[in-house]
Amino acid sequence: MSPSLSQRLDVLARNLIPAALGVALVVLSTIPFYLPGYGPIAPNLVLMAVFYWAVFRSEALSPVTVFFIGLLQDVLTGAPPGLNAAVLVLVRTFAASQNRVFRGKSFLVLWFGFVLVGVAAAFVIWLLSAIYHLTLIDPSPIVFQAALTITLFPFLVWGFSWTHQKLMAQS
Amino acid sequence: MKPRNGSGVLRLALPLRGLVHRFAFLFLVLAAIALMLLGRTDNVVVERVSAVVIDVFSPIMDVLSRPAASVNEAVLTIRELASLRDENARLKRENARLLVWQDAARKLAAQNAALHALLDYKPEPTTRYIAARVIGDSGGAFVRSVVVNAGTSQGVSKGQAAVTGQGLAGRVAQVGYRSARVLLITDINSRVPVLVESSRKRAILAGDNGLLPRLTFLPANASVKAGDRVVTSGHGGVFPPGLPIGRITVAEDGVVRVAPFNDLDSLEFLRLVDNPRVQPLASPRKLKPKQKAANR
Repeated sequence: MSPSLSQRLDVLARNLIPAALGVALVVLSTIPFYLPGYGPIAPNLVLMAVFYWAVFRSEALSPVTVFFIGLLQDVLTGAPPGLNAAVLVLVRTFAASQNRVFRGKSFLVLWFGFVLVGVAAAFVIWLLSAIYHLTLIDPSPIVFQAALTITLFPFLVWGFSWTHQKLMAQS
Repeated sequence: MKPRNGSGVLRLALPLRGLVHRFAFLFLVLAAIALMLLGRTDNVVVERVSAVVIDVFSPIMDVLSRPAASVNEAVLTIRELASLRDENARLKRENARLLVWQDAARKLAAQNAALHALLDYKPEPTTRYIAARVIGDSGGAFVRSVVVNAGTSQGVSKGQAAVTGQGLAGRVAQVGYRSARVLLITDINSRVPVLVESSRKRAILAGDNGLLPRLTFLPANASVKAGDRVVTSGHGGVFPPGLPIGRITVAEDGVVRVAPFNDLDSLEFLRLVDNPRVQPLASPRKLKPKQKAANR
């Protein structure tokens, strides 16, 4: 039985959720909180989202989509254009290729995987930024940012898995 | 026959798909690196596209930043209520002190006017301000910039100085139709020609992403001491001269740093200053002061 138009639209809409969520998180992470010292160490929400969806729903978040989400992040945060795009594509490729390692395991395995990804991503961002500016940049903001991102990961995953189960269960 | 045929196609198609996927990954990473190289050369197209994208998202950012601003204001109000008595006493003392200064300033202004008349001095053109609200924080580890809700439609142009009541905060680095990105003086790309006010020594204030930008290219014989005020020199024509920036902090290990007067972490409103000497001619449409951006 071939699916009706409404069914196909429904599937399409559900498959767009990860991308839409990614864009929303990019915009959310630019909100100024007017807190001293917060801006540079604000958690990388988009990184968490891309990792989660690449592990559990990689088919709904293509590398091209991830590339453009990263590019949007670069443009809105004023980072060198392409920096986050490259990092997110790398993270998506790694997470999607290793998804069997994480699927169906306990949350701690997933968290441990994200610790590795978070640290590696922070290192790559630091390295690319240093090359871009042709100077050795003080890495302390990215260290704090990575720590905060890894610490907040469980809360975001709770939100993502709720979205996954409630909104995308049928597709 | 059919299933075998299908599996044959599959056997061919699967590695091909894998190949395409692998190349997609490679292609995307290379594209990202190419974009970074383009961005490094201050490519006009990259800049334009970025400005347009920020323009598209700026209404959403504007709305989203309002609750945070309101909460921030409420917290400030409560804090201020707690210290009202002390604040009042302090302000009375300061008022008494400032009255003395006002007296001195009036005398100097009169003297200055008399001397100007003697010299047939041409007054500097008055500067124009455009008020804007900060709607986006950089949120990046290695970027110190903010997005404001005013663009070319309000008369903002690239290179304008961004100031608050306390002093210089940064300069407009990228401008769209209704939004602009302000590069803060702490950003690693920021270079501001400055003067040490007391000694009139010229230097360059260079950001390094830290809280305290460095004072570089000071003349070798220049002696600076902690507490000296640093202001824009106006050299290079980008900034109007005399905008206060900060005070020199204790020069340890030979590196002279400046503590900005502005709290650059919690900027809420910025005024963008036209430097009339950079643009002697502006179109009449641009000159209309539209202050819609400043709606509080």
